[in-house]
Amino acid sequence: MSPGAAPHRLLPSETSFSTRLRSPAVAARVGVWLGVCFALAFVTGLISHAAQEPSWPFPTRPVWGYRVSQGLHVISGTAAVPLLLVKLWAVFPKLFVRPPRASRELLIHLAERGSIAVLVAAAIFQLATGLANSAQWYPWTFSFRATHYAVGWLAVGALVLHIAVKLPLITGALLGPLDEPTQHGVEPVAQVREGGLSRRALLRTTWAAAGVAVLATAGSTVPALRRVSSLGVRSGGGPGGIPINKTARAAGVTASATSPAYRLTIAYAGREVTLTTAELGELSRHTERLPIACVEGWSASGEWTGVRIRTLLELVEAPIGVAVRVESLQQRGSFRAIELPANFADDPLTLLATGLGGEPLSLDHGYPCRLIAPNRPGVLQTKWVTRLDVLT
Amino acid sequence: MRAVRWALGGFGLAAGGYAGWLLTRRPDDLLAVLAWLAGGVIAHDLVLAPLVLGVCLLGSRLLPARAHAGAVLALAVFGSITLVAIPVLVGFGAKADNPTLLDRNYLLGWMSIGALTLAASVVVAFRDRRGGT
Repeated sequence: MSPGAAPHRLLPSETSFSTRLRSPAVAARVGVWLGVCFALAFVTGLISHAAQEPSWPFPTRPVWGYRVSQGLHVISGTAAVPLLLVKLWAVFPKLFVRPPRASRELLIHLAERGSIAVLVAAAIFQLATGLANSAQWYPWTFSFRATHYAVGWLAVGALVLHIAVKLPLITGALLGPLDEPTQHGVEPVAQVREGGLSRRALLRTTWAAAGVAVLATAGSTVPALRRVSSLGVRSGGGPGGIPINKTARAAGVTASATSPAYRLTIAYAGREVTLTTAELGELSRHTERLPIACVEGWSASGEWTGVRIRTLLELVEAPIGVAVRVESLQQRGSFRAIELPANFADDPLTLLATGLGGEPLSLDHGYPCRLIAPNRPGVLQTKWVTRLDVLT
Repeated sequence: MRAVRWALGGFGLAAGGYAGWLLTRRPDDLLAVLAWLAGGVIAHDLVLAPLVLGVCLLGSRLLPARAHAGAVLALAVFGSITLVAIPVLVGFGAKADNPTLLDRNYLLGWMSIGALTLAASVVVAFRDRRGGT
């Protein structure tokens, strides 16, 4: 026992915990996979952020790019939950380290503990808000997208700083053996016995927990896992074989979308063409297999039938290479109107869909017509489209 | 190694600074964000961690040594699945007009994972006894 730690304090000290399983050998190995998960979530998060900024260039291929990227984002975040819990369990005694007395050491000690506190806070924040968001639960007042993005930078910044500080310890632990004989010099005060569990068994258990968390949820985006994922936020069902994110009722468009007065207006440089639902149906149509992939992580592939955006832009003689503002019948919401960048507007796969899975588009999927483009977040696949304005 | 550490540390501080700048650009949100950041740490350090330590202590006293590995498996798998399942179990995101969202029996799903985990931990306990470890 270290000389400073008296056994009868109210608070436990670092040496109150058994050290056999809570070793750097375990913490570093779990930490590597936790780091991989956070790195994946960060990179795919940046991709998703870029996809939602119309001023940032974003490719239209691969068609399934955003589906895979955002699916990975949510899957890696979910896998990180058990990894983070075991990592925190392994280093929990560090919470009770007594600060040094000398002022210089104290300063370094406080700085490191501060950075760890930021790391833990940001990591828990990202996983908790991300999981709640995937279930469309918003028990907070802040903007989810802006905050999850900012705290993502905070988590990765604190994580990389942590790796920089601990690098010699990490490399030593990873290069060294996993199994180490117990250090007999330390006699725990209030020992938490781990029984016959070996470090190897603890690691296997951790990987199992991460695997189960993924299998239980990933069916929302991986069709092969639909029957396995008993905790998935979507079973994958819905009209035309595709789930719905926001219903016509919730968007307040039921009356305007079904009204005989509905018109689609296409405008460019003072020219305006107005189409009824029937006239829209008379234009040349194409059927494309495209995924719809929501920012919340679920996705599904559908057979969309509709008119190419480019065909509609020809009606007002708009040149190639122009961006388009797509406006919905919705009166509220931040995605009521979106900007479709020029490369998406020109793409032959980008449709104003009027049908899905061989049936007319259902009201909740955006009747009379909705945007569907390759490699694009679902929030930007505007439903109940009423107006296309060519941006010049 | 020294240069790598300085480079990583520099990137980490810069990324953290950028995050701070992003957060202060939305001053109306700041207080709630800070409360949620602190709340997560408090929920883990003062509630979840002591709870898990208590369960471990209790388990180590009540269960025979050969059952420990299985019990830890059950705690880690089912404990983390329970946390992951909270949003779908409480179902506050469900909407009456949208039957395609949160459209599974989550209580049943959660309990089946519990049953499978329990079965796996029993198998582990018996395998460990046979193996004589």
